[in-house]
Amino acid sequence: MTRATVLATPARWPRFLLPATPAAKPADLDAAVEGGAFAGLRAAVEELKADGVIAALGESGLRGRGGAGIPTGEKWRACALAQADRRYVVVNAYQSDPAVLTDRILLEANPYAVLEGAAIAAFTVGAGEVLVAVRAEATDAIRVLESAVAAARAAGYLGSNVLGSGTDINVSVKPLRGAYMLGEETVLLKGLEGKRGQPEQQPPYTTTRGLFGKPTLIHGPQTFAAVPSILTGGAARFAEIGATASRGTILVQISGAVATPGIAEVPLGITIREIVDVAGGVPSPHRLKALLVGGPSGGILPAEGMSVSYDQVSLEEAGAYIGSGSVVVVDQKSCVVDLAAVLTRFCADEACGKTIPCRIGLRRLAEIGARICEGQPRGDEVTRLSDLLSDIVESALCDHERRATLALRSVVRYFRDELDAHIVRNICPAGICQPKAAARAGAVS
Amino acid sequence: MREPTLRPSPSSPPAAGPAKPSRSRKSAKAAASASAEVAAIESAATERSINPIAPESAAFEDYRPGPDAQLRRLRPAANQRQVWNRRAGRPDSRPDAKTPYDTVIPLADSSAERLITAQAPQRPLSTLAFRIEVDGRIVEGLEGQTILEVCRANGIEIPTLCYEPKLPGFGACRMCVVEVEGEEHPPISCSRAAEPGMIVRTQTEQLRRLRRTNLELIFSDHNAYCLPPCQNKCPSHIDIPGFLKANAEGQFRESARIFKRTIPFPSILGRVCPAPCEEHCRRDEVDEAIAIRDSHRYAGDLVLKAQHDGIEPPLPFETEPKTGKRVAVIGSGPAGMAAAYYLLLSGHDVTVFEKDPAPGGMLRYGIPEYRLPKKDILEPEYEAVWHLGARLECNKALGRDFSLDDLRDQGFDSTIVATGCYDTNKLNIPNENADGVIDGLEYLKIAALGLPYPGHKKSRVVVVGGGFTAMDCWRTSLRQGAREVTLVYRRDMKDMPAASEVHEALEEGGKAVFQAGPTRVLVDASNKVTGVEFIRMRPGAPDASGRRRPEPAPGTEFVVECDRVLLGIGQGPDLAWVGPGNEGIASAHGRLQADAVTFETGRPGVFGTGDVRIGSATVVQAVAEGRRCAYAVDAYLKGGDLAELRTRQTLAEVEPQFLSIVPYIDEPKEPRYRLKSLPAKERVKSYVEYEIPYTQAEVMAESTRCLQCTCEAIGNCDLRRLGIEYGTTLQTLEPGHDQGAGFRSVTENRFTGYNHDYIRDDSHAFILREPSRCIDCGRCATVCAEVVGAACYDFMRIGFDTLVTTPLDMSLNDTPCVSCGRCAETCPTGALMPKPRVLEKYDVDESRCILCGICVDACPYDALRDGQDNELAHTDRDDPEIDLIGLAAIDRETEVTYIRRERDWVAHALAEGRLEDPAAMLPALPALPPSLAGAASHSHRAHRK
Repeated sequence: MTRATVLATPARWPRFLLPATPAAKPADLDAAVEGGAFAGLRAAVEELKADGVIAALGESGLRGRGGAGIPTGEKWRACALAQADRRYVVVNAYQSDPAVLTDRILLEANPYAVLEGAAIAAFTVGAGEVLVAVRAEATDAIRVLESAVAAARAAGYLGSNVLGSGTDINVSVKPLRGAYMLGEETVLLKGLEGKRGQPEQQPPYTTTRGLFGKPTLIHGPQTFAAVPSILTGGAARFAEIGATASRGTILVQISGAVATPGIAEVPLGITIREIVDVAGGVPSPHRLKALLVGGPSGGILPAEGMSVSYDQVSLEEAGAYIGSGSVVVVDQKSCVVDLAAVLTRFCADEACGKTIPCRIGLRRLAEIGARICEGQPRGDEVTRLSDLLSDIVESALCDHERRATLALRSVVRYFRDELDAHIVRNICPAGICQPKAAARAGAVS
Repeated sequence: MREPTLRPSPSSPPAAGPAKPSRSRKSAKAAASASAEVAAIESAATERSINPIAPESAAFEDYRPGPDAQLRRLRPAANQRQVWNRRAGRPDSRPDAKTPYDTVIPLADSSAERLITAQAPQRPLSTLAFRIEVDGRIVEGLEGQTILEVCRANGIEIPTLCYEPKLPGFGACRMCVVEVEGEEHPPISCSRAAEPGMIVRTQTEQLRRLRRTNLELIFSDHNAYCLPPCQNKCPSHIDIPGFLKANAEGQFRESARIFKRTIPFPSILGRVCPAPCEEHCRRDEVDEAIAIRDSHRYAGDLVLKAQHDGIEPPLPFETEPKTGKRVAVIGSGPAGMAAAYYLLLSGHDVTVFEKDPAPGGMLRYGIPEYRLPKKDILEPEYEAVWHLGARLECNKALGRDFSLDDLRDQGFDSTIVATGCYDTNKLNIPNENADGVIDGLEYLKIAALGLPYPGHKKSRVVVVGGGFTAMDCWRTSLRQGAREVTLVYRRDMKDMPAASEVHEALEEGGKAVFQAGPTRVLVDASNKVTGVEFIRMRPGAPDASGRRRPEPAPGTEFVVECDRVLLGIGQGPDLAWVGPGNEGIASAHGRLQADAVTFETGRPGVFGTGDVRIGSATVVQAVAEGRRCAYAVDAYLKGGDLAELRTRQTLAEVEPQFLSIVPYIDEPKEPRYRLKSLPAKERVKSYVEYEIPYTQAEVMAESTRCLQCTCEAIGNCDLRRLGIEYGTTLQTLEPGHDQGAGFRSVTENRFTGYNHDYIRDDSHAFILREPSRCIDCGRCATVCAEVVGAACYDFMRIGFDTLVTTPLDMSLNDTPCVSCGRCAETCPTGALMPKPRVLEKYDVDESRCILCGICVDACPYDALRDGQDNELAHTDRDDPEIDLIGLAAIDRETEVTYIRRERDWVAHALAEGRLEDPAAMLPALPALPPSLAGAASHSHRAHRK
């Protein structure tokens, strides 16, 4: 099993995704059914039908957990209404952030919730095939998933004529090997088609033109896992939790300068401080400096960011996003300029190379960052940086391109003092960067 | 799911295969018509039959393909559906009924589905039309069209680099971004479907900024160049490699034509141009720069010689139809005449006004006869302009005889002021107006024509200055018999604009003093010059031009005794005419104020160009000014938007020929062919042109030295076109960039950083790959995979190092490449190019041709085609073109020669120790019959040759 600590959360926080006590054998179907698995699918097939499911989802206020946060009900409706002879449901469990294991933990601990959610989706939109895209390195998750799929198919929850509904739902687990970009949904679809992973412009959205050009419903496993409990009478309860825009709970991985790093299921809309407190808070020798929210392509918030509400809208306003569900606490020993430059370089090196602003622009951003860190900035470096950042965001094709600028945008927005210290005074307040002051005179002239 | 009625019935194949016997058909009527058709084909075939022993059995009765039938089998006829119906015995259905091919039924099989979805989306034949608003215009689009397609169909241009019209939009280059009202970020128009009621804007400031940033990013990793340095440095951007290539091929008329695309006067410039191009020639890295000027001089002179014999000079472009617009050009110098030439080619009516008795301006009155013969060169070359229909009015000076108002009243639609610089600068030293101090231009006006200037003979002359005027005064004075001629220049010799001529003048007996400036003119009691006092100058701090400003060194005064002083210290334009009657004209820095790109003055319809705008400059700069001004006036007269002209900077666009590049590392040394000249003693006595022109062999040898270092794709490169349009590449017209001849490296912009340097791959016979020029648009990869089906290229590696290339960067020879050239055709830059071939034509050995037709199929340029009679002309067996006798005469490998050769190879290998065990390596060879041994060895030797 994947080694990651699941942190205890306050008892008043609801749980929809991870079971309170981890099951000894998560793939044991009988135990799971006893615990309520596939009740949602049965409710969908026997009572709600497609319209009822979409209505319940609308009532629950469930939104996608990644970047855009589109209401799930609307997305399902669009996919169901699209004209096509076949449709697909894709579970995007690739989880490209190499440091975050939330989806893997979910798949290993609660595979039936994800599969049931995906099956409900397939039944609702009329898709015959469900593809679960998993990182090939996540061998434990793949093993659990495959045995869960086999068991569910044998029991009639999946496969042909699901629960006597006359609908066939074939689920296959697709281990994918690739790169960071596979987290982007259109790239993932290309990967599933066997093509080079390069994004496409949306619209047309994947709900009308996705896998093999067919309408495709694509969500992360957390979104699918939330669906069954909504259908089994939980829609109203679900809607009570969280911020106005986002409802429900989400898995977060807290790391960095905290007492006990780990994964926790938290309700959307609580503050980041509450999330950090779950991990034991920031120990006193470390002094909080910043928060990296959203993984490698996330934004860096200042210490005041602790009071930002953890939901799509508030984070977007603050200059970050939920992304991989990662929250990294950065202490005073780190240099944010250096951090942003390294993150940008990571995103530039992981770019698929399709578009010019991404392939060359991100690299140039990383170069500007590196020059500032090395103490060899050119004239007007901050203007150039800001112009390029905004131009890349404006003409970006996919979210990777847009999000990759977040780190440096945060530095310009929140850490201008530290940036100026590097450029004007040629010093790094944190003592991380080693500006080559002597070399600078030669480089500028 | 499947609709069997739409599928062709197996019993009645739709394709016109072997026709079934008519007996089996149901409808008698249809059978009759069909059998009549077959009968017609049959009778045609029988008539043409060449095989007298063809069996007349029943098996051959129905099907005997003649050439027509064969064609029919391959290409469905236009009325194929009716034919099928008739064959199948069905009554003709409605004209709009579906044919079996109208519907494609997707198969359940997923690999088949993958194939179908890889294709471009096929729109149904009839689609709904709707309207959208683009840039304030209401345009009509069809359902399923992208925004880009709607715009292009309506003539609205959106820039693209990665869009390939045959394929669905790819969205990599980000040039086609447009603004759609109500959307946060501008979408990419090539892959975004247009929707009814959309409000689209294609050219806003914001979009232009995004596109510019994008281009700058591309250029920051574009390790390549467009123009060769010589062409860049030429103020008029002549296609130098182009005309040199024509020269090298002996096509001098074509060479002159290429030259005239940018400068109408190859012979004049071949004599008087300071040749800034030659200073930047890359051949200098091998041995010596090419003699570019002398090479076009030869071609120009040949044209003049032909003109003398009654052959009209070549025109650079076809003359456009007459527009009926009248343009007045004031001044017949190089700028005015160049403007007149290109305006005439554009179909306008031109009248040239000249203040002097004869046309030519500075060329006639400022440049001496020995440098530019007036009767032999200037007048015939100007003849090309008069020949196009220009009218000349001499002795008419602006301000003296007419004003701009008068011209307007006479009905001229536009006026070009190209009056040049005739106002000699003053020294501002004591006694400057003494008797004997002469304006150098005044002197040259008489002396340049070879007429003796009064009192010059035997006098002692001091020439002050270092420019072309001073140089001409110096050398002309020598020719006029002055006793002693001293040129005094305040800077060093290397700083002289005319430094190349100094040695020639010194050979001719002139004297020179450098780094000295005049302080006062010495006069006698009658105010007559007796000498000039100079002071030594030493170099000071560098000025704006980069040269060190001379500063006087006190206490170093000295006197040069003389009778005459000629001033050649520069000229400015004479703007005394500005005023009443010429309202709207302004001056700036003592020059006529006119825009650097559009040449507009403050007065509508009046343009200023040449020296009067930029100050005293070289002839080539004046010609460049004139040509660019002509384009601006042409745009103005044809109602074009001059602001757009400025944006697009079309003036800088040149389209040279398609050229091959030669790497210059291992080039053999071959020094420059220098022009020989008359001995100094001879030439100082006369005004005869002293340089001896090239012979044809010399000019061809010299032109062959050119390394052709230009990008092969120039003129076809979308990236360069957009770079010029968005001002992110060559800043040739930026003021302050060396008077319009500005130049900077392509990659030099605000984002310059690490860039790739890939290796050129010329291993393939037809396709040249230069990955450093690749912009990763992916067009070649998609076209190769989805149109051709070979899939030689794809995106390789990730991040910044992504490159569209072959797997493992292997040679195209190792890929499934079919040499079709589609990749080179679609490449928007010069990254993939058809490889220039040295061979002019291929020989086909018909005796070995097996008539397979592969060459016809593979030829990307239709150089080999089906003949009239058949698919392949050669397959016409009626009249085989195979030369049987020739076939028999060919010395081909026989078994005997084969055995002999293998034995020899084994023997050599054994002798050299390369072969361990011949028995294990080769099949056992039979012994050679003794009777053949001698003959075979003979034939073997012949074979090896």
